[in-house]
Amino acid sequence: MLFPSLAVLPAPACAGALLLVLAGAACAETGTPGWTFSGFGTVGVARSDERQADFVASVLQGDGAGRTARWSRHVDSRLGGQLDFSFTPRWAAVVQVVTEQRADNSYQPRLEWANVKYQVTPELALRLGRIALPVFMAADYRKVGYAHPSIRPPVEVYGVLPLANSDGADLSWHWSGDAMHGITQVLVGRTGVALFDGGRLRGKGIAALSHTVERGAFSARASVLTARMSIDVFPGLFGALEGFGAQGRDLKHRLDIERERATGVSLGLDYDPGRWFVRGEAGYTKVDGYLGSTRSGYLSAGWRHGNLTPYAGYARVRGVMPHGPHTLALDGLPAPAAARGAALNAALAELLMRSVPSQSTLSAGLRWDAAPDVALKLQREHVTTRSGSRGMFINSVPGYRSGRTAHVTSAALDFVF
Amino acid sequence: MTRCRIRPSTRLLAALLLACCAGLAQARDLVVVVSARSSVEALQPEQVAAIFLGQAPRFPNGAVASALDQPLGTFERDQFYLRVTGKTPALLRAHWSKMVFTGRGQPPRELAGNAAVRKAVADDPALIGYIEREALDPSVRQVLLVH
Repeated sequence: MLFPSLAVLPAPACAGALLLVLAGAACAETGTPGWTFSGFGTVGVARSDERQADFVASVLQGDGAGRTARWSRHVDSRLGGQLDFSFTPRWAAVVQVVTEQRADNSYQPRLEWANVKYQVTPELALRLGRIALPVFMAADYRKVGYAHPSIRPPVEVYGVLPLANSDGADLSWHWSGDAMHGITQVLVGRTGVALFDGGRLRGKGIAALSHTVERGAFSARASVLTARMSIDVFPGLFGALEGFGAQGRDLKHRLDIERERATGVSLGLDYDPGRWFVRGEAGYTKVDGYLGSTRSGYLSAGWRHGNLTPYAGYARVRGVMPHGPHTLALDGLPAPAAARGAALNAALAELLMRSVPSQSTLSAGLRWDAAPDVALKLQREHVTTRSGSRGMFINSVPGYRSGRTAHVTSAALDFVF
Repeated sequence: MTRCRIRPSTRLLAALLLACCAGLAQARDLVVVVSARSSVEALQPEQVAAIFLGQAPRFPNGAVASALDQPLGTFERDQFYLRVTGKTPALLRAHWSKMVFTGRGQPPRELAGNAAVRKAVADDPALIGYIEREALDPSVRQVLLVH
């Protein structure tokens, strides 16, 4: 047990104490070239007026604002600490631990990063270990609230592929031209994350390529990711389908996610000359199974006036059901089998409603850089679920009504140290 | 920034204040410097920005580059980044948060004051720093004037 005391102490307090201990130790050592400690965190509250489901920042959370409680401090609150070691000019290592609400509602810290880096040349680096996936513009620092103008990156884009990191290796090439420079990164690995109801998401054979270009105020990132994904959240349903004759086996074969191909593609553009910024991203994901495919995108902009940055944005995800029929044909079946089939059809419809998200968010907010290393943000969002889905919400009630607009108000205090 | 208001009542005072403004303005010009032993002659603002923001690991001539900062909150540091990269201290902090927490790098090493930066740069051709123009001496070479 790495953190045995977490079982008895309030988890955030405990993790905070742990980080403070580390910070204290690091402060004593400031100036030595060997290692540095840094950290980030967010204290946030969010309120949603949708009582049929929970508004969350990530589908990997246990609960959020709305159904469980109108106000939630779990949506955005987190604390992260990072230790960077440098052994020689070529060898370095990094460990990053983050505590935030998990699917089991605990705040047990998670090892977000743990890798060893070998700098082959000043341009070429090889890393081995746990590495953040370089998908989307901000996926690899999406938990660092301070680094984002808004409270959180749009869930419509960043929430659809809930893979955050992978255990494996990556190679990154830092290249520079006259006015342009960038990083090209190739990654291979595997991952496993805990989901709700004791289920797990596994990604094997992950391969990703990302290409980042910067030129003055302009930056862009294109990325491609592929993996073989398995999700075992609904073993009962798919077991029952397997026992429902040829059509049941066919449905299970097409919808169950067992070592299925998952693909993600994204392109992001950012223009930030300092006084203002505008950024937009588009993404596409496809999983061979009940997750179907999604097209998502957002556009956001902000203006900086001294310490104040008002911003606004629009984000949307449109889910497409997997091909083929999604129900069992029950005509002509004996009554007991038809009843069993009808129950399975209802469960399948519920599964697809929960798993193929469509929603849009209109948001506006204000960031106040109140002190060095501290930003205070206030944000208002109108989140509308669409196409019969519950969008990016979780914990929906049976009979959840899609198509309504949730009004979400959030406040967050972001800090880095 | 120091502001001087010229009072019409006293010519002498006005002249003195003007002299003080001119002197301050000159002293507040910054220069980006490398070692006098470096082969780097001149740099464009974008090239300097890329090195200081951790985006370029080398000088344009191929030599490895390592940047030095002045302490947080100093006039030199704030003005250098505002004029060369367009970033306020808060934006610069956000930039380094992204870099540090994605494992892409650590901010430049900090040295206290123009003399300390000048001495370190003079001793090592891989280093690049910024100092007040008045602190220039033959041990370092100016590669960019920051207005």
